[in-house]
Amino acid sequence: MPPKRGRPRRQVQSTAANAQVWIDPDVLAKRTKKHLEELERSNYTEPSATLTGADDEEPERGSSVRGRARQTISDKREHGRKKKSTMNVRTALLYRKNLTTLIEESGISSLPANCPTYLTAVVPPPNEPPRLICSVCGYWGKYKCVRCAMPYCDLNCEAVHKETRCERRVI
Amino acid sequence: MEPSCIAVLDNGACTVKCGRTSVSYDDQPRLITNAVVRSRGDKATYIGHEFDQCRDFSSLHYRLPFEKGYLVDWDAQKAVWDGIFSDEVLKINPSESSLLITEPYFNLPNLQEVYDQFVFEEYEFHSYFRSTPAALIPHGTLYGNSSSAPPECMLVVDSGFSFTHVVPIMEGSIVWSAVKRLDVGGKLLTNRLKELVSFRQWNMMDETYIMNEVKESCCYVSVDYRRDLDMCRWDPRKNPILQEYILPNFSANRNGRIRKAGELINEADQILYMNNERFSVPETIFHPSDIELQQQGLPGAIASSISLLPEDVQGLFWVNIGLIGGNTKFPGFCDRLMLELRSLAPSDVEVKVYTAADPTTEAYKAALAFARNSAFPSHVVTRAEYQESGSNACRRKFKDWRSSDRGVDQTLDRRKGKAPMQDSDEEPSSAPRKGGRTRNRTGIQPSGPRRR
Ligand SMILES: [Zn+2]
Ligand SMILES: [Zn+2]
Repeated sequence: MPPKRGRPRRQVQSTAANAQVWIDPDVLAKRTKKHLEELERSNYTEPSATLTGADDEEPERGSSVRGRARQTISDKREHGRKKKSTMNVRTALLYRKNLTTLIEESGISSLPANCPTYLTAVVPPPNEPPRLICSVCGYWGKYKCVRCAMPYCDLNCEAVHKETRCERRVI
Repeated sequence: MEPSCIAVLDNGACTVKCGRTSVSYDDQPRLITNAVVRSRGDKATYIGHEFDQCRDFSSLHYRLPFEKGYLVDWDAQKAVWDGIFSDEVLKINPSESSLLITEPYFNLPNLQEVYDQFVFEEYEFHSYFRSTPAALIPHGTLYGNSSSAPPECMLVVDSGFSFTHVVPIMEGSIVWSAVKRLDVGGKLLTNRLKELVSFRQWNMMDETYIMNEVKESCCYVSVDYRRDLDMCRWDPRKNPILQEYILPNFSANRNGRIRKAGELINEADQILYMNNERFSVPETIFHPSDIELQQQGLPGAIASSISLLPEDVQGLFWVNIGLIGGNTKFPGFCDRLMLELRSLAPSDVEVKVYTAADPTTEAYKAALAFARNSAFPSHVVTRAEYQESGSNACRRKFKDWRSSDRGVDQTLDRRKGKAPMQDSDEEPSSAPRKGGRTRNRTGIQPSGPRRR
């Protein structure tokens, strides 16, 4: 779908613009959280085993036999290391923990309040309210969808939004 | 025994910038993809440096050692490091070498121990030094040539793959209580671009590599967002922002590129129109709330950080802002930042921003300069010291965010003692700490009313 060239813009009539939008803020917060998590993903599609072959899959938690049966990448590559890794190293290689778990285990949340940590270093929220940007075309979004609160700029974008993106279920 | 060389690794979440001290190496680091990458088209898996051999970059599958800026997948990281230390890259014998490696800001204590374990137990380096990238900047030339001393106060902005940090440094030490983090980095920007393009034009959700290239060649930071947004609605023939990006065709061995004015294209070529995507993506660094991330933008983060510093020296930070990290390479980044900082800074202070010739490798170059410094050996922890007191040896010697508070180590140790998963072969965590810390220049913490 190439950009619409020089398409006339229609103004949204006041009915839509003035409609009261009320959507549970928790629901919106969840949607935002999910979106931000998606923006941190390394791969959009996780490959199925049939596509990649078995040599380089993500270690699936709980799916394979624990312990000995697991192989590290270097085990598979057989770089001919004779030395056996220490228990510490072996543990780190075989048991991957996600960042949330690692933060919990680090104990940084129970440090004295005046100790700066990863948790305290995040910048404060902005002082000004967010700018509304059309979720379809990126122009200023003057209006908000009555069903899902996403901003849009005009009738064209409202139509595209309704057709393709409006989240009836929101989450 | 003296180590025969020092390996230097700026171990980033996207690329490892690496090299070593020795006559045959110049100052340019090797850039190694920090990932295990599967190419479906090539039917091959590339580990780290092997990625140079990749030919088909479509729908690559990435396994990254880092998650949100922290090292969580040690299996993948070890695979990449194995390659880097091997004869295919740095050609070092770890047991005869020293290592200087960077770690993320506010690295977790439990992760720092794993760094130590890999360095000494797995690779058996003779000695090592671990530090954040910004802490090394005073050794480099970001603020001038190597003959002049670095400024007493500097504010390093490090905008990388995972996030963006504002790091004030006073007399060579990071003032951790004023370090600020913004959760916007290059990874998020590329994903954001993927999302916009996929919704508006082609489905590029699986094309991280290609979209990263598009981002690097087309995106810029707008100095006037309102104006640029309006220009994007002009007639395409008059719209100065609109670019056509010709997507790569790997089967025909053609890379992607921006279409030149009047350039004829093949019928089979796929065109990606880059209009407001060009600047709305990097805009996220300045306005995270555009993607509903409730965080101040970079200019606000800088102002917040400086406000936490001692009042009498705040002016010295405003005038010594330095930019490192790949995102600062966007055209317009520095101009826009200056513009906004000027309006945030007190009217009587001067604002000055320093940029590096190559912001991606600046921390590496500073690290290399430090490694060559005659004082470097006095900063390392040796394997013998590690064998004697484990990670405590590193905790004592490496200055990090924990050095900024005396009570911190004890608290962490107390907690660790209670933790359910405790390695039995670890040394007692109650080992006395002596020396080291008091000699460190950690007294530079901001004093007075700010520390409430
Ligand atoms: Zn619109
Ligand atoms: Zn909607």
